[in-house]
Amino acid sequence: MSAKLFVRRRDGRIEVRLNDAGREVLHDTFGRVVAAERDLEHEWHLSLNSPINPSNDDDDPLSTLARQNEIATNAELAVMTLNEQFLNDAEAWAWLSTLQIALRSTAVANGILSDEKLESAPPELLEEIRTIQQFLFDLAACF
Amino acid sequence: MSRAPLLRLSSTESDVESEVAVITERPWNVIVWNDPVTPMTVVVVVFRRIFGYSNNKCTHLMLTVHHEGRAVVWSGKRERAESYCVKLQVAGLHSSVEQDA
Repeated sequence: MSAKLFVRRRDGRIEVRLNDAGREVLHDTFGRVVAAERDLEHEWHLSLNSPINPSNDDDDPLSTLARQNEIATNAELAVMTLNEQFLNDAEAWAWLSTLQIALRSTAVANGILSDEKLESAPPELLEEIRTIQQFLFDLAACF
Repeated sequence: MSRAPLLRLSSTESDVESEVAVITERPWNVIVWNDPVTPMTVVVVVFRRIFGYSNNKCTHLMLTVHHEGRAVVWSGKRERAESYCVKLQVAGLHSSVEQDA
């Protein structure tokens, strides 16, 4: 049985039990979310900006702005706390949100919109997805 | 000399009928859509954090999303529905709003 990557301690903080390789993966993942929010041409940008109200031609600009700000804030907080040994609740939530954004963006950018597509994904892509999922499993268990 | 009849120029009875129209707007639904990669535990955690629902309710909603492809996770005023939708999207879930049919 593999060791947990994140553990909630009695004092409420979340302990990060990642080695250098694990933190390197997160560094790349969080960095891609930050880049996607800033770069309109980024392959993830579209999945970060799916419509709020599909029946309208345009979403409410204030809602769209709120979403962009919050995604960017979470991702930047995740990058800033990347080397921390312990996370408080808000920091851990920023990590979880940013990882989940990265997971779904990876899937959407590669056309993985069904279980069948996931099963037939190239091994390298599948490994990338499974790795992010493993981070999410362990982090979600702390909430 | 005859006296002209007095005209009644005012009335104590109201002859104006008032009509009260009650307009009820159909509620706006927040929808969460299924996707093949999001872990079930993440969906439950996000619902609990954003809506404050019980663990049982979050699990029930998550399973509805999983089995039916989508679930209505909240209904009410449009502004709040959009606000919840944004929170769900910020947490990485595929969500949208639509007016109740």
